[in-house]
Amino acid sequence: MAEKEEVFTVKTGARHPDLEQIEELSGQRIIDCYQCGCCTSGCPIGDWMDIPPSKAIRLLQLGQVDEVLASEGIWLCASCLVCGTRCPRNVDYARVAEACRVIILRRKKSMVDPDTVTDADLQDVPQQAFIAAFRKFSV
Amino acid sequence: MKSYPYYPGCTLYSKAKNLDRSARLVASRLGIELKEMPSWNCCGAIYNTAVDDLAAQVGPLRNLAKASKEGEKLVTLCAACYNVLKRAHNRLLTATESERNRLLDFLDEPFGGAIEVVHFLEVLKKEIGWEGLKSLVKKPLTGIKVASYYGCLMVRPRDVLNFDSPENPRVMDDMVSAIGAEPVDFQFKTECCGGYLVVNRRTIAVQASRRVLDNARNSGAEIIVTTCPLCQYNLDIAEAQSGRTGPTGVVTLYFTQLLGISLGLEENELGFEDNKLDPVPFLREKGLL
Repeated sequence: MAEKEEVFTVKTGARHPDLEQIEELSGQRIIDCYQCGCCTSGCPIGDWMDIPPSKAIRLLQLGQVDEVLASEGIWLCASCLVCGTRCPRNVDYARVAEACRVIILRRKKSMVDPDTVTDADLQDVPQQAFIAAFRKFSV
Repeated sequence: MKSYPYYPGCTLYSKAKNLDRSARLVASRLGIELKEMPSWNCCGAIYNTAVDDLAAQVGPLRNLAKASKEGEKLVTLCAACYNVLKRAHNRLLTATESERNRLLDFLDEPFGGAIEVVHFLEVLKKEIGWEGLKSLVKKPLTGIKVASYYGCLMVRPRDVLNFDSPENPRVMDDMVSAIGAEPVDFQFKTECCGGYLVVNRRTIAVQASRRVLDNARNSGAEIIVTTCPLCQYNLDIAEAQSGRTGPTGVVTLYFTQLLGISLGLEENELGFEDNKLDPVPFLREKGLL
């Protein structure tokens, strides 16, 4: 017996306050997406995401904002911009994911702690990777 | 000798000295001086897209304000610097008046935005031209199959960078042809290597890079060329974990290292010791060194 699929429950009533902010910070209109899936099929990291781009947008359309903000997927986006480049509706998911991250980071919750970087990695990994990761994933 | 202000960026001063050095030497062979701009600071390594995040644009814009006193074009080599500087510039030029004033308040000097951020590949194409480059080649790389790997930062977002097609760019392939090698068409030429996920999600970055490597190799490539220190690093750590060794694998070089070989630069001028995986045995086997 299949369990009730919670993620597709439509929440009615007032729009989630974070959704306004996601649209504002990203400059994207979530409603424009018609779920063709081009973003997810092109996403180089989509295979590892719990909620891939097109599904995240669908959840936002249905008011399931908390699920998206709690997902790991938004932290796996590497900002390569394939999704937005191929979107026939001009919805740039990378900007949406960044808005979701920014909302969480501005609540002072870091996903990467610079103090945990090992000396071995510091000696080895190019600087640009650290700077980019700290900028995208930490307060 | 034509001189351009040049922005090296943080990685080219440390982990990717070989990209900096090989580019300067190649440029000099081609009659171009890359003149390091004064007092530059880090570009920020990645562009922040949140529309209210003006603070992130100040660092790159400070560089552009300083560079605008040195010349009309600022030359970059690192794909990330190119991407971030050009997008920050675009952010300023498309800002509302109040945003613009806030941004300019944080700069140390007046800046009207009069500068063009270009990549060294664009200088090669426009100033030297592929026929011109061909005529300067000392050692044609005949028969060597080369995959030009652009990754994400050189080509996206298309409307701001206007570098080349975001799906099938050709600039580096044309360079490869000009130096006598054979460009290999492969589907993952603009696929992401996993980028900075290598810091906190290394396994994913390695697997994403592995797909790029395998796709290039299965398309017949012997050498991959890149403009990005992080792509170079990620592809090399993925290759190191692939279990392949020597000539059965594929080596990833900076485009300037391959150019350097064809222009007759010496092995010790091209900084192969700074590549994560030593490409020298492979290059010797192929008769390139």
